[in-house]
Amino acid sequence: MKVSQIVEGVLFASDAPLKAEEIARADEALDEDLVEEAVRELRAFYDDSGRAYQVVELGEGYQILTRSELAPYLERFDTVPRLPRLSGPALETLAIIAYRQPIGRIEIEYIRGVGAAGVIRTLQDRGLVEVGGRSEGLGRPLLYQTTRRFLEHFGFASLEDLPRPEELPILLRERGSLEEILGEGNGVPTS
Amino acid sequence: MNGFLQVELDRFQGPLDLLLHLIRQQDIDIFDIPIATITDQFLAAVAQIQAGDLDGAGEFLEMAATLVRIKAQMLLPRYDEDEEEDPRAELVRRLLEYEQIREISSRLIRAEAERARRFPKGYFDFRPRGFVEDTPLESTWDEVLEAAREVDLTHPRNRPHRVATGLVALEEKVRLILDALEGSERVEFSKLLAPWKDKMHGVVTFLAGLELSRQRALTLRQTRPFSELWLLRGDLEEWARTREEMMRVGGARQPDPQFDTWEGPADAGAQRPPSGASPQLDAWETGHRTSAQPPDPQLDAWPTDQEGER
Repeated sequence: MKVSQIVEGVLFASDAPLKAEEIARADEALDEDLVEEAVRELRAFYDDSGRAYQVVELGEGYQILTRSELAPYLERFDTVPRLPRLSGPALETLAIIAYRQPIGRIEIEYIRGVGAAGVIRTLQDRGLVEVGGRSEGLGRPLLYQTTRRFLEHFGFASLEDLPRPEELPILLRERGSLEEILGEGNGVPTS
Repeated sequence: MNGFLQVELDRFQGPLDLLLHLIRQQDIDIFDIPIATITDQFLAAVAQIQAGDLDGAGEFLEMAATLVRIKAQMLLPRYDEDEEEDPRAELVRRLLEYEQIREISSRLIRAEAERARRFPKGYFDFRPRGFVEDTPLESTWDEVLEAAREVDLTHPRNRPHRVATGLVALEEKVRLILDALEGSERVEFSKLLAPWKDKMHGVVTFLAGLELSRQRALTLRQTRPFSELWLLRGDLEEWARTREEMMRVGGARQPDPQFDTWEGPADAGAQRPPSGASPQLDAWETGHRTSAQPPDPQLDAWPTDQEGER
């Protein structure tokens, strides 16, 4: 068996993204580098031969997914109930956690100006957010972080894929005086 | 001044959301907020909060207090312009940060939609999803064949329509099982059925066996799927003692509720379990449908509220 065949077989049979190290478990002779090389090979092969699917980098791993151009055709067969959409508060809370992780509930509430306990629980139930530890601060509050599932759900390979704050079209830099204010860090009191 | 600012508080996710709305709607420079005006407008909006709705009100009231404090600070003379921070600075920082979070949220929505356009293998399930979904199939084809050989194939396919059948008493079958176990340690389920052709006898005998097993009068054994079911005798003396005691304590009621007559087909339609709950039982009732069509177990297995799940 060629390495690329083994890797392809593992990716084909999996129902979730797999990290290179996870794929490498298929054979003693495999290691992360070999797997990644095989993935590159597969990608090129799929693209060149016009396959309907691609090896997508997702959730810190790889998964075989159909090309998005096929969506109109495949959506007709969708018999699986889709997850209900995230509510506005849930999305905002998720955005805060994604950018400021690990972060405690009090800080989240300060940024949004409203309570967040219920929303955090919803996000935890859906596996998008998890407890990542405790703060050293008073009362040692829980700190939240995003999960691998979060990356998978939004199609990110890693947290690096999140839109960078400086790319956002928000007028922060027009005035010198505010440059100072905003330069003081991220604006959230840590105590 | 406030006339055109009809604000519905329910629409806002919190005080920052409302504040941003007021600022953006009036094209106010966020770096130079006319704090007195905004405070008035904010308070007017907050005044609409119903007295009873204090749940969400706290956050708005807290912001109102902050605004009033900033307004007061603005009125105080400041001696050293360079040293002291503008009283509005922290609020501006929060507003900008919140606006940024909202922008990120809308990007997450887009990312989510884009991701949802790609599908993994097995994303849609073409088979009807029913009761067998989570049951791993362990039987081999030989076992299926063997089971098939046991089935009485002499039954005509279209049986005559029957309106009612005789009742089969659970009590009677309990007696039958106990009598059989009197003589031997164990008895085969199929032996118990021997004299009767009607399926209802099989059902009631099986129920009687389950009930007795629950009461620890016997144990049920089956080595593999579709193979013979054995009834192994338990401690019948102990069981009889417990039963007698229960009868004494239970008092007047003669027929034990556990052993009430199984009415079977007579009102099967009325007693039908909620659709999809027990397709196997539905299949047992084939002889008693009022419809001439043989029922399709496949169809029965399909949950009828399928559409509701979408």
